[in-house]
Amino acid sequence: MNAPAIRLRGVSKRFGKKTAVRDLDLEVPQGSIYGLIGPNGAGKTTSIRIILDIIGPDEGEVAVFGSHDIEAERARIGYLPEERGLYAKMSVIEHLVFFGELKGMDRKLARREASDGLERVGLAEEADNKVESLSKGMAQKVQFLATILHHPDLLILDEPFSGLDPINVDLFKTMVLERQREGATLLFSTHMIEDAERLCERVCMIAGATKVLDGRVGDVKAAAGRNEVAISFEGSSAFLDAPGLVERIADHGHYVEVRLLDGADPQDLLRRAVESGVRLSRFELVEPSLREIFIEKASAAGVAPEDTPEEEAAA
Amino acid sequence: MNPFTRKVRAVIRREFMQRVRSKWFLLSTLGIPALMVGLVFLAGFFVSQSDEDLGRTSTIGVVDPSGRVADVLVEELLADSVLAARAEAFADATEEDVRSGLSASPYDVLLLLPPDILEPPPEDEADRREPGERAKLFASDNVPPAREREVRDALSRALVRVRLAEAGVEGVDAEALLRSSPISVVNVTQTGEGRSQDLYRGISFAIDFLFYMVLLIYGQMIIRSIIEEKSSDIVEVMVSSLRPWELMLGKIVGVGAVGLAQLAVWAAVLAVTALFGMTSAGAALAEAGFDVTTIAIPWGTTALVLLFLVLGYLLYAGLFAGTGATISSETDAQQAALPVTLLIVVPFIAVQGIIQSPNSPWAVVFSLVPFFSPLAMPPRLMISTVPVWQIAASVLLLAACVLVAAWVAGRIYRVGILMKGQRANLPEVVRWVRHG
Repeated sequence: MNAPAIRLRGVSKRFGKKTAVRDLDLEVPQGSIYGLIGPNGAGKTTSIRIILDIIGPDEGEVAVFGSHDIEAERARIGYLPEERGLYAKMSVIEHLVFFGELKGMDRKLARREASDGLERVGLAEEADNKVESLSKGMAQKVQFLATILHHPDLLILDEPFSGLDPINVDLFKTMVLERQREGATLLFSTHMIEDAERLCERVCMIAGATKVLDGRVGDVKAAAGRNEVAISFEGSSAFLDAPGLVERIADHGHYVEVRLLDGADPQDLLRRAVESGVRLSRFELVEPSLREIFIEKASAAGVAPEDTPEEEAAA
Repeated sequence: MNPFTRKVRAVIRREFMQRVRSKWFLLSTLGIPALMVGLVFLAGFFVSQSDEDLGRTSTIGVVDPSGRVADVLVEELLADSVLAARAEAFADATEEDVRSGLSASPYDVLLLLPPDILEPPPEDEADRREPGERAKLFASDNVPPAREREVRDALSRALVRVRLAEAGVEGVDAEALLRSSPISVVNVTQTGEGRSQDLYRGISFAIDFLFYMVLLIYGQMIIRSIIEEKSSDIVEVMVSSLRPWELMLGKIVGVGAVGLAQLAVWAAVLAVTALFGMTSAGAALAEAGFDVTTIAIPWGTTALVLLFLVLGYLLYAGLFAGTGATISSETDAQQAALPVTLLIVVPFIAVQGIIQSPNSPWAVVFSLVPFFSPLAMPPRLMISTVPVWQIAASVLLLAACVLVAAWVAGRIYRVGILMKGQRANLPEVVRWVRHG
């Protein structure tokens, strides 16, 4: 019925000799929460800039809400870049009104929305203060407000949670999900896969400028099968050295995620563990995590290990 | 298509309001006229001080080896009431005697005449007596130029009187005989108005100087504004809402509006001071032969001059914006802006010569070359009659150059504003322009 909120077809972008995005297809349905996952430098930000028509693709086509004239759709988009800043010398309210106007809002309306928004995030007192006098957390709140002030139908957030304090992460999630429940589409990029796994219905994984996986989180996991075992133990990890059983291990010390070879029986591994004398506190058949799937797909696509996402504690 | 969309207007308003409300604007807008008025008063103060100096009577001794001029010269010197003169004729006094005797003598200054003072110098060398043959004024203290002139005038009157008397003409008022009439230069322009050249030269230089300052100051301001947006990470949000060229346009127009506002305030301050406060300066100028009340630059000329300012600003603002996009830090700004700054400095240096001979070939060339014409043409327009074809050619060339510069700057800006870190080198910038 509806045109997808975002559709990329065969999009490529090179900077000099370096390919930032290679032949990317992407379709973000309206109303969905879509995660763009990949390590730093994989091409997420470039993809987002192409969607926003900040830079043009070398090849391929881009449509937002079915329109190739992205300029005309900009008022419907709210964008929070990874590198985000404010004009230090402007007052908070002026700042918000200015950004509202840039999205085509009438001054009066922008002022009203800005006041309401500041009230909501508890910054009503700061409205007339200069941005430079705000704390970092307060400035982050002003940035969120500026992003959603004009009630965008499409929210594009580039690494939205990096550098946020935990309270702001929760506040921001609440505000963004509220917009999504009202019908807005949400595309966010992150190198923290655990964030995406919790939040997204769909993900697109990019590594080394190339898409390696795309689809509903549930489908992605189902397709990956259930030959993944999560084991918590005390003692020697020697039992894991079982070439006939184990394909790969994600080693977190005394918690491991083990990918078994196709056709291997988890029961055999359990037996080895018990016989080796380790004390097990958990032995569970699990769906593979997105991280596991990502690493598998990325290495299958020939991406070097250092390009895989680093583990970071999600805030 | 109207490029001034709501978004662009928002950028213009922001750039304008932020600057007009800043302390810097208040200080420079009020401070610079205050400084100028202050300098005028300071100069007036020093002039009145030296007048007071002149008012003090000083004594002058005349050493006249010929013995034929001294009496008449003393008479003439005494005619200037501030001088007390006494003549002493020492037929055999040498320069050495006068030099060493000055401090012991009762005189403030000693005038030593050469023995052949009454011989007229050869016709073609009227003012070229060798230094050894000239009259010399010895003084232990500095001799003010006005005092020197009094002595020179008295000497020339005395010499005329003595020569006339020796030729048998008596009872002539030499001073009246020598009185000349001052000359006013009248330029017949298209409007048929006469203009006092020096006054117009001064005014057009002052106006050109203001333009020069405006181009430099506001160009730098554009660079700083772009660097601020880059370094505070705000530019990406901006370009997700409007096109880079719209942002550049808004910035250039907004900053330019601040410049115009500042010029308007200055013009108003000058007009008001000229009307009410500066009557004394006006009188002083009138005495010097400048009648301030006759200053009239026709509206057509004013409009043309402003057109050159606006086009010049747009040209240089574009260049500065392109430059600003290639750098990320204030420290690189000065160096990166140098080539553009030089383009402004060169015509301003030439302006001195252009004002002296506004229709010389060089002046014509400078006022036609697009990068120089914004500063080179206005003084010509104000002090001389510029052929219409030159005006038209200059405006067209400049306007075309503005468009090209805006296009190039837009291409550089588009790529440059998202670049971080090191300053882009020239080949890289050329690539941006070619491939955008």
